[in-house]
Amino acid sequence: MAKHMMTLTVNGDTYDLVVSDTQTLLDVIRDTVNLKGTKRGCTTGACGVCCINNSKGEAVLSCITHALEWHGESITTIEGLAASGELDAMQKAFIEFGAVQCGFCTPGVIMSAKAIVNKYPQPTEEQINAGLAGVLCRCTGHIKVKEAIRQDHGIREAAKNAS
Amino acid sequence: MPAKDALNVIGTRQPRLDGPEKCSGKSIFGDDVVLPGMLCGKILRSSHAHARILSIDTSKAEALPGVKAVITAADSEGIMGTRRGQEPVFCKDITTYKGEEIAAVAALDEVTAEKALRLIEVEYEELPSVENMRRARIKGAPQVHPDKPGNIWSDVVDTYGEPDEAFAEADLIYEEKLNASVTHNLFAEFHVAVVDFSLPDKLTLWTPTQTALLMQHALAPAFGLSISQVQIIHLNTGGAFSGRGGTRPHHYIAALLSRETRRPVKIFAAGDEEFLVCRALGENHYKIRAAVNKDGTLKAFDMDADMDGGAFPAEVGYFGWMAGLCNSWVFPLKGNRLRRRVVMTNTRPHFLGHGGMMLSTNSAIMQLCSKIAKSLDRDPIDFLLQNAIDPGHKGLSGEVFASCGLKECLETVRRESGWEDKYGKLPEYHGIGVGIGAMAAGAKGAFKHDTSAALVKIGEDGFVTVFTGIPDMGQGTHTTMAMIAAEVLGIDANHVQMVAGDTDITPIDIGAFAQRGTIQTGNAVRNAALDARDQLAKNAASLLETSEDNLIFKAGKIFVADAPEKSLDFAKVVYGTLHNDEGRYTMGRGFYNSPLEFKTTSWSFGAQVAEVSIDPEIGQVTVHRVTVAHDLGRTINPLACEGQIDGQVYSAMSQILYEEVLSDDGLYLNPSRLEYKMPRTYEMPEITHHLIETIDPYGPFGAKEIGEGPIVTAGGAIASAVSDALGGMYMHQVPMTPMRILRAIKVKEYLEAAEAAA
Repeated sequence: MAKHMMTLTVNGDTYDLVVSDTQTLLDVIRDTVNLKGTKRGCTTGACGVCCINNSKGEAVLSCITHALEWHGESITTIEGLAASGELDAMQKAFIEFGAVQCGFCTPGVIMSAKAIVNKYPQPTEEQINAGLAGVLCRCTGHIKVKEAIRQDHGIREAAKNAS
Repeated sequence: MPAKDALNVIGTRQPRLDGPEKCSGKSIFGDDVVLPGMLCGKILRSSHAHARILSIDTSKAEALPGVKAVITAADSEGIMGTRRGQEPVFCKDITTYKGEEIAAVAALDEVTAEKALRLIEVEYEELPSVENMRRARIKGAPQVHPDKPGNIWSDVVDTYGEPDEAFAEADLIYEEKLNASVTHNLFAEFHVAVVDFSLPDKLTLWTPTQTALLMQHALAPAFGLSISQVQIIHLNTGGAFSGRGGTRPHHYIAALLSRETRRPVKIFAAGDEEFLVCRALGENHYKIRAAVNKDGTLKAFDMDADMDGGAFPAEVGYFGWMAGLCNSWVFPLKGNRLRRRVVMTNTRPHFLGHGGMMLSTNSAIMQLCSKIAKSLDRDPIDFLLQNAIDPGHKGLSGEVFASCGLKECLETVRRESGWEDKYGKLPEYHGIGVGIGAMAAGAKGAFKHDTSAALVKIGEDGFVTVFTGIPDMGQGTHTTMAMIAAEVLGIDANHVQMVAGDTDITPIDIGAFAQRGTIQTGNAVRNAALDARDQLAKNAASLLETSEDNLIFKAGKIFVADAPEKSLDFAKVVYGTLHNDEGRYTMGRGFYNSPLEFKTTSWSFGAQVAEVSIDPEIGQVTVHRVTVAHDLGRTINPLACEGQIDGQVYSAMSQILYEEVLSDDGLYLNPSRLEYKMPRTYEMPEITHHLIETIDPYGPFGAKEIGEGPIVTAGGAIASAVSDALGGMYMHQVPMTPMRILRAIKVKEYLEAAEAAA
């Protein structure tokens, strides 16, 4: 197990890390950076609870990506959304529309939802479905999750400004 | 003027109180617990379905640097791995299923623990095995356990009313079969246990669960402790779906490793191991007969169930009994007989799934009802309405249905689904189906008492803290409890905080199962809040110069009922009650137990209509719309209730159409979240919710349950809709996978051709 130095920016904070070549990005986020919001689920890329955003705001499954590939990169985890102290519009929408039940997949679902609206500020039904296909929520039947994404405060603002 | 009976909090769309935590990644789950000095535990599992263990050599594993303990059956003498003591923690001489616990290690880190597992040498002598019920029941089949000839764990017949007479009298007898496959509860949060048993007098376990109390009851005697010396901290529980009803071997193993190493130990079920740790539903085969008169009166049911209990069946037989009873609740039958035979196989021990066996038996019964209706040339909804029970009806095993909105639910879904325009009028391969169901709210009968207790403390600023032992696995019970306390005290639910999930702090609660949360814990919280309110009323009455029973607690104020212009702020009264000569700090206590002997008090009822279509080329079923009406007694939080319905329709659809653990010779073929199929966003139907209030005389504010009723009913509705889409073909197996649908289409075509030729 070779060890390597790497730097990683998580939610705006840059960390100098010593990482082994077997560690995943999820291991580093949870065990080294010590942020527990990103969840450990299947660890095989199937369930989506480990989803984070890369610097382009795209969804990344942190459990199946080697940490070392992220040297010098910047990522956002669920904790990064409320970094200013106030919840992000998507987080607020999830609470308001009852899109949260047990909450275990919620960080992964919200980061997937962020990736959808980052790419498509006013997503279509198909774009929402495709963006959520990688996270398996077992409580909500996805219905209120989709409602929250459609009603995301940011989307409403954008729609208001456009009209 | 504030009306005494008007509700300000109950019935409002209250977002979850823990929403901000859960949405910002701050909620702590079992795997997030990290303790100083914590070790990683890993379990070595049997690679044979049935084998004699000739030797176990742990010496190489023990010698590996970083390994702190290696344990086997020799270290767990006298300790059994389930509450009822039927399943060992480690297998001793003979393994009885692939995945059974053989040994465990505790090491400094996960990589070392995994390495150590590979260094344990086990020598097996393979024995002949039986991996399914068909093989297990062949004459002369290998026995799973030497003391259980024929591999029959239990074989019980329960008779309610007069089924023999009813079948003898009836004009018509219908019979159908249905097989249900092995499933997995597949909660989002994987199995995990963190145990600190480093000091001999205290065992602390952090783990997701539906019941801390039953875990205490199981672990305390196993380790020679008193119940209060076992502390269960269940934090947030990431889904349960009836699958977290007690202790499993990994809980005991983590405790044994912690005791051995004197350090905290975490065991996490990674990847496919999750499917072996879980004690989900096994395969079930039902034969159901119905006695009916020509005028459409349903007289009796006779259910014969063969249930695969796996290697250690535990409580499977009990769940079969529940399913048989559940079938009888919606109809005024003359008789009901259930035979439940629990068969042992060399597979993972089975327990319970979301909706239990009630989901699959309801999908059989509702298909059967549609078939009976068709053969009598009746509309299925008319047929069900003719046979549906009314409030006050007395069930065959003595249940009294004090409130019942079954007929209103049926009328609602008929109207709202547009049934009249659709039933019998849809194009080929399109179908519409109806299901009805009932669900007991409460566990009395299963347990001698069904007690939940609660404490309410009121801070001097008027903020209220409710202490409860009931876990919230996502169903929203904690928010419901806060709303009940807020309603009683006349404050905003956001001024209530919940303390839950630590048996050292919270009072007794049997747990979150049997739909007992709203009704049992809800009544306990209501009683505790009333106790606190009475204490405040004393002071408020003297300040307002009126009597204690002439007060109304509403909207953060305390009003004089007959002179509402006179009022005081709730918080001011609380402050004044402490800051005076008496110096009273307000704390309320309450508990609740069903007042009926061996019986719960309340049942929910529901009706649903599902609309589906089938692609006859590929056999795929699409569910388009599900119209749900559910008699929940009283709606406490419509937002949460809709979420409960959505999730249960999802899960019913998933189990009726997709979910199936495939296996070959006891080896699971699809133990992952990619291969074990479930609906994604794409597959979800449009769901409409109709919450029917019948104000139950026992429930808090008249509320009953919405935790498992809708899933059972959805199962029946979706199954009958598929059957309707196939021209009334009865589907004999769930899940109704494309292959099975295609086979049914072939049979249908063959029968039609035969009929045309004749």
